[in-house]
Amino acid sequence: MSTRPIPVPPQGTRLHWHLDQPFRLKHLVIAVLILALLLVTGHRTEMDRMVSMTTQAVGNLVGLNDESQVVRGLSKVADSMWPPQMATSEEVARMNDFNADELPVFARVESRETTTQRLNEDTLQLESVTETTEVLYDPLGYVKTVFGKMIETLEIALWGTLLAVSLSIPLAWFAASNYSPNRVTYTLARGFISLLRSVPELIVALFLVLAYGFGPIAGVLALGMHAAGFLGKFYAEDIENADKQPQEALEAIGAGKIKTVLYAVMPQVLPQYVAYTAYILDRNLRMATVVGLVGAGGIGQELKGRFDMYDYGHVMTILIAIFLFVFLLDQLSARIRSRMI
Amino acid sequence: MSQTSMVKLGAIEKTWADGTRALNNVDLEVPKGQFCVILGPSGAGKSTLLRAVNGLMRPTAGKIQVDGLELTQASERELRKRVAMIHQHFNLATRASVAANVLSGALPEVSLARALCGWFHPEQRKKACHYLERVGLKPEHLHRRAGELSGGQQQRVGIARAFMLDPKVVLADEPVASLDPQISRDILTLLKDAARELNATVICSLHQVDLAREFGDRIVGMRSGEVVFDGAPTEFDDQRLSRLYQNADWGDGEPTPVTEDSLELEAAGGM
Ligand SMILES: Nc1ncnc2c1ncn2[C@@H]1O[C@H](COP(=O)(O)OP(=O)(O)OP(=O)(O)O)[C@@H](O)[C@H]1O
Ligand SMILES: [Mg+2]
Repeated sequence: MSTRPIPVPPQGTRLHWHLDQPFRLKHLVIAVLILALLLVTGHRTEMDRMVSMTTQAVGNLVGLNDESQVVRGLSKVADSMWPPQMATSEEVARMNDFNADELPVFARVESRETTTQRLNEDTLQLESVTETTEVLYDPLGYVKTVFGKMIETLEIALWGTLLAVSLSIPLAWFAASNYSPNRVTYTLARGFISLLRSVPELIVALFLVLAYGFGPIAGVLALGMHAAGFLGKFYAEDIENADKQPQEALEAIGAGKIKTVLYAVMPQVLPQYVAYTAYILDRNLRMATVVGLVGAGGIGQELKGRFDMYDYGHVMTILIAIFLFVFLLDQLSARIRSRMI
Repeated sequence: MSQTSMVKLGAIEKTWADGTRALNNVDLEVPKGQFCVILGPSGAGKSTLLRAVNGLMRPTAGKIQVDGLELTQASERELRKRVAMIHQHFNLATRASVAANVLSGALPEVSLARALCGWFHPEQRKKACHYLERVGLKPEHLHRRAGELSGGQQQRVGIARAFMLDPKVVLADEPVASLDPQISRDILTLLKDAARELNATVICSLHQVDLAREFGDRIVGMRSGEVVFDGAPTEFDDQRLSRLYQNADWGDGEPTPVTEDSLELEAAGGM
């Protein structure tokens, strides 16, 4: 090690001290450009209108002005959303599997009298006619329906995750550079993974509904494919980064690639795999409520149908159910996580 | 001890991609059942030589024969089943159980379906237990994670794993480099005894000269990729020892050239 002395200028040298301002014209130009960009994009995304409408709404709420589109729209929806719809009533005559001895819990059969104006053909006068119809009234009927849909949503998430895991394991094998048979399979697998990851579930579901029709098939496939891309990438990277020493030990006795991965790589990466998979399950549970909006089954499909029919009471019930569901899920996963650590 | 050669290396050369000459015209014949110790300063090429025997390292030139079978692409898999390896860093799957680690030594002879469910043959399970007992571990260690064991215990597991396939040759690359002197001696005793039971050949690289003298049937001294001493431990006196390590560059760089008088070692290599 050689150390060099710090050079000292000869005595009597006049040093030129100079301290610039922090900003120069260049910075000003950049600032102006950014501002212009914000103004243009802000106008295109109607941020200016948003500000004026929101101001109007706040003014309306505190009583400064009496007209606000936002408040009007919201209160119209809010009015029709409350109370949430809980009950169902169905005409017994229209039910083909009605069994008076086995009514659902809390349900009862009611007689409803409906009065209609009808033309009497003899007297040629309008008369009130009273008809009695038997109705099966279930005070919690819609809650049950929503619960059933929630379960379906859960099942979609579960099967989506299952599909993702089973798809991603072979994908990860081919996408791990140290185990992929050759360069071509590696590139193909990596490309396929990027493709799967790049398309959002909702868009995939949109197309799958065209192929498989409305219902959970499209939902499961959409969730599974997207998550398979995610898991495939992370599994593959974990395989690549796994400690090489135990792998070399098995390679040295000629165990073969698959058995080497099973016995030298899997034990190392398994905890991470479980963590990724748990994350995907959590994500799929949320996404499963959304993919239904394009008709891919579950609670989302019910929500979309009710929304389109202006059944806002039903919509409210669904929203409450989703909120409760996500809340319970968070509690559950927090509890599981704290137990695992 | 029969004197048929078990491992035969003929004119092995290895030049790494960066131009390092790790092995230079190495000839080595190890008979059946011999405990052959390889000594030499760091960077002498001991690991490279050992890894040539089972094809983990492909030499630039030269021939390798194990148990009469020539090492080629086609025979590599078959040959590796007969050659076990014990590693300096144990190379266990640290998160897997001791049992799984030992059983994994039998993987080449287990069908994929069985490997997948961990359904090893009863004889293999019995053998795993036998060797674990043999290396001084207890039944309660079976389901312990390998990484939780001490270094000495881990190397015991490594030895048990190596003997699962009744190897003809055991390659041990500095098997006791990270263990204390007493445990090192225990481990080498184990290795030597287990090998003797099977009449297996052991090629073992070491950095501890006293252990080499104690355990080796034969000592091979290497320096700068060449064999510079080859003989019985009694012939390997202190003068030869100091010359083997003299002026050795313990870093990664090229070793400094050997001076004239140090070439009296064994005539195998001139610089
Ligand atoms: N993969 C590699 N690529 C390039 N050079 C390598 C590689 N492996 C080893 N070498 C070089 O080959 C030479 C011999 O290395 P080797 O590991 O065989 O030495 P060694 O005798 O086992 O040393 P040590 O006692 O430190 O383990 C060294 O100069 C080393 O730098
Ligand atoms: Mg080495």
